[in-house]
Amino acid sequence: MNDAAISAALADACAHHRPVALRAGGVFSGMHRSVIDADELDLRSRRAIREYEPRDLTIAVECGMTAAQLEQTLREHRQFLPLDAPDAPQASVGGILAAAWSGPRRHRYGRPRDLLIGSEFALADGTLARAGGMVVKNVAGYDLSRLFVGSMGSLALLLRANFKTLPLPESTRIFLAALPDGTRERAFSQVRNLRPEPAAAWWIAGYDREIDGDPGDDGRIAILLECDNALLERATLDWRAALGRAGIPETRLLDAGAHASFTRLLDAPMRLPGNNALSYRSPSLPSQALALADGIADVIDRFDMQRDLLVDIMNGDVTVRAVGDAASFTHVVGMLDDALHDRAPRARILAGGGEVHDRLDCFGLLPNALAQMRALKARFDPHGILNPGIAFFDGLHA
Amino acid sequence: MLIERLIEALGAEAVKTSPEDLACYSFDAYSQGVLPSAVVLPSSAAQVSAVVKIARDLEEPIIARGSGTGLCGGAAPARAGVVLSFARMNQLIELDIENRRARIAPGLVNLQLSERIASTGFFYAPDPASQRASTIGGNIATNAGGPHCLAYGTTVNHVLALEIVDERGECFTTAVEDLGYDLTALLVGSEGTLGIVTSAWVRLLRIPPTTGVWLAAFPSIESASEAVSAIVGAGIVPTALEMMDATIVRAVESAYAAGYPADAAAVLLVESSGEPEEVASADAAIARIARAHGATKWQAATSAEQREALWRGRKGAAGAIGRIAPNYYTQDVCVPRTRLPEMLATVDDAAKQHGIVVGNVFHAGDGNLHPLLLYDKREKRQVAAVIEIGNIVLARAVELGGTISGEHGVGIEKRNGMSMVYRTEDLAAMANVRDLFDPHALLNPEKIFPSGISCREMRT
Repeated sequence: MNDAAISAALADACAHHRPVALRAGGVFSGMHRSVIDADELDLRSRRAIREYEPRDLTIAVECGMTAAQLEQTLREHRQFLPLDAPDAPQASVGGILAAAWSGPRRHRYGRPRDLLIGSEFALADGTLARAGGMVVKNVAGYDLSRLFVGSMGSLALLLRANFKTLPLPESTRIFLAALPDGTRERAFSQVRNLRPEPAAAWWIAGYDREIDGDPGDDGRIAILLECDNALLERATLDWRAALGRAGIPETRLLDAGAHASFTRLLDAPMRLPGNNALSYRSPSLPSQALALADGIADVIDRFDMQRDLLVDIMNGDVTVRAVGDAASFTHVVGMLDDALHDRAPRARILAGGGEVHDRLDCFGLLPNALAQMRALKARFDPHGILNPGIAFFDGLHA
Repeated sequence: MLIERLIEALGAEAVKTSPEDLACYSFDAYSQGVLPSAVVLPSSAAQVSAVVKIARDLEEPIIARGSGTGLCGGAAPARAGVVLSFARMNQLIELDIENRRARIAPGLVNLQLSERIASTGFFYAPDPASQRASTIGGNIATNAGGPHCLAYGTTVNHVLALEIVDERGECFTTAVEDLGYDLTALLVGSEGTLGIVTSAWVRLLRIPPTTGVWLAAFPSIESASEAVSAIVGAGIVPTALEMMDATIVRAVESAYAAGYPADAAAVLLVESSGEPEEVASADAAIARIARAHGATKWQAATSAEQREALWRGRKGAAGAIGRIAPNYYTQDVCVPRTRLPEMLATVDDAAKQHGIVVGNVFHAGDGNLHPLLLYDKREKRQVAAVIEIGNIVLARAVELGGTISGEHGVGIEKRNGMSMVYRTEDLAAMANVRDLFDPHALLNPEKIFPSGISCREMRT
């Protein structure tokens, strides 16, 4: 389906007030509510590279392109985009932006939105428009490209995204360590102050099948080093010394397997064993992340559920997966959701929840600028054509 | 009525109405000679809110203003109104080193933030050349860049949250972490047309352990710009990659004795920061590329003083030009990095054709050019020539896939250039946002959008 066909489809839908559900990889579908009664517009075939000049370090792709395809294309030119998407073979660029997905490397390289330099989009009435361009600095006009980030496809349909790309690090190494009893806080502090700075770092409790590393009495850590070849060995010595000062006697290194291990870390929160499970992610300040993780753990323990925790040490995100008894899950998950939001008001569902998903609090604490968002939705999509019911700002679920 | 109500709300000492005061707040680097009705200096978000409510009641435009260092008239009144100066809202409100962030009031001068927190080992990355004077609020309004945004990104990449007073005088907040639309990004770079920033959380970065600064001299500006393309094309992103041509080098040497080779046709100033091994790698790789493109000199700054001197020369280039011409006009365009040689050739050809001397000093690594056109404003032919060259440069930048403003904003000066970059549909989508946030067109009116077309007329 080309741009003109999409434009025509939206114009027709708008003229007849017929809602449209935008469909891509579906990886982030757990992060919003289900679309209400709408015709599906499948964007998965829109995977072309629209412009790529490697020497400019910029690329423009259609938004149905998957994160894995994009990574492969860039890797051939020793470049990358730190999208950090879970399920990269399925996750589309449009989905990543619509969900405002941001991963563990954002403290180092920025979020996907930070690397977004322009876009082409279709408005609800089918009008094709664009913002930004293919230059890395551009302050001509409003940044509509980034405005659409986080819109869950409810404000406009992103057709093309332009990014600035980054040179691929020469070396990638993952450090895995089991934490002896009583070392977690010191490890957390040491990791935050490592030089060179980690590209990503996690404290992990659980996820024993999904994530590498042997569990310790106080959980385990995984740290990602991305650097020049010249720095690799000295950084390894320095990091091991720093972790030793935190009381961690041994670290295991992954080189050839680092990429696969990192991928498993990204995928883990979205991997659920069945319908009796739920994953949340709650943003927090790094200084408060461990306390929040403990609070969330207490809540889940009260419901006698199995839990896995993942704390993003550099950014403060706390991710938790709760798995309940298949027979009772549907009955208790609502109470769990309430209790969890009491402790972590900003927690957001990533995946799961089964048949009661849409009755749970998908979004957590709503933004202060809710009125502005609702007004934007009403202005850009007055007939509620785009992904109706998906979000908190279109009023349908308010 | 306006003045009385403002005095009642803020006190007489915070309201300026003398002709001299009004004149001082009527321009930045661009002026239409329009005086504001009043200038106010609020001390709090509540006072900003009060001013906005009064201005709205009386249908007076509201123009937020930092230090007035902009180039395009973004802080200059277009049709009278109340200028809101943030000179008294200049505090570092909260410093949270543990979480690498700071909350600032919009009037805080950019460089002062980094200077005040230097002892903590952190800094604020966006560094426009005006950073000694420009405010972070003004930087937010224009999404300001600077030499180091090559590696660190522009202001939008460093703003975490905003407190905004809207056109009704009501306060709301946005944060990058918020659910939903990225209003933070929308507001950054909106030049005070969607709301008025009254405080911001900004991101702080750790000061790198090692910084290397090098200077490369080239026999021609073409060879220097080709070296820039080759460096970036090789996947090397230094912290900064700046170019100066012979006109600028001579002016800077004359003014600052910065250590630039006065006989060079072009000079690249290169900075790389990070771990010592990374800086050494960058040194070797960039030197190799520079020499392969004809560099006649590759010189490292060996001390902090030398580094400082080289940067002082770069950041003071515009000031140094004042020694060789009574007036200069700075253009700001950005092109894809591989198109730099073509863009520079256009600038050179246009300047020669019109008999105008041009000095090029710019963020080469970003493809962000700043040709300085030297002229005497008393000479009508020169003024006309400079305007014509400016238009040629804008048109060529767009033709090469670039944009009409890389980091200085649109303001009044470039509003008609927006139609060169965007189609009516694109502008209408932006105007729809403008109309929503400012339905009475009182927030910094007659900026950004092309003249003769109002937001309402452009609404789809």
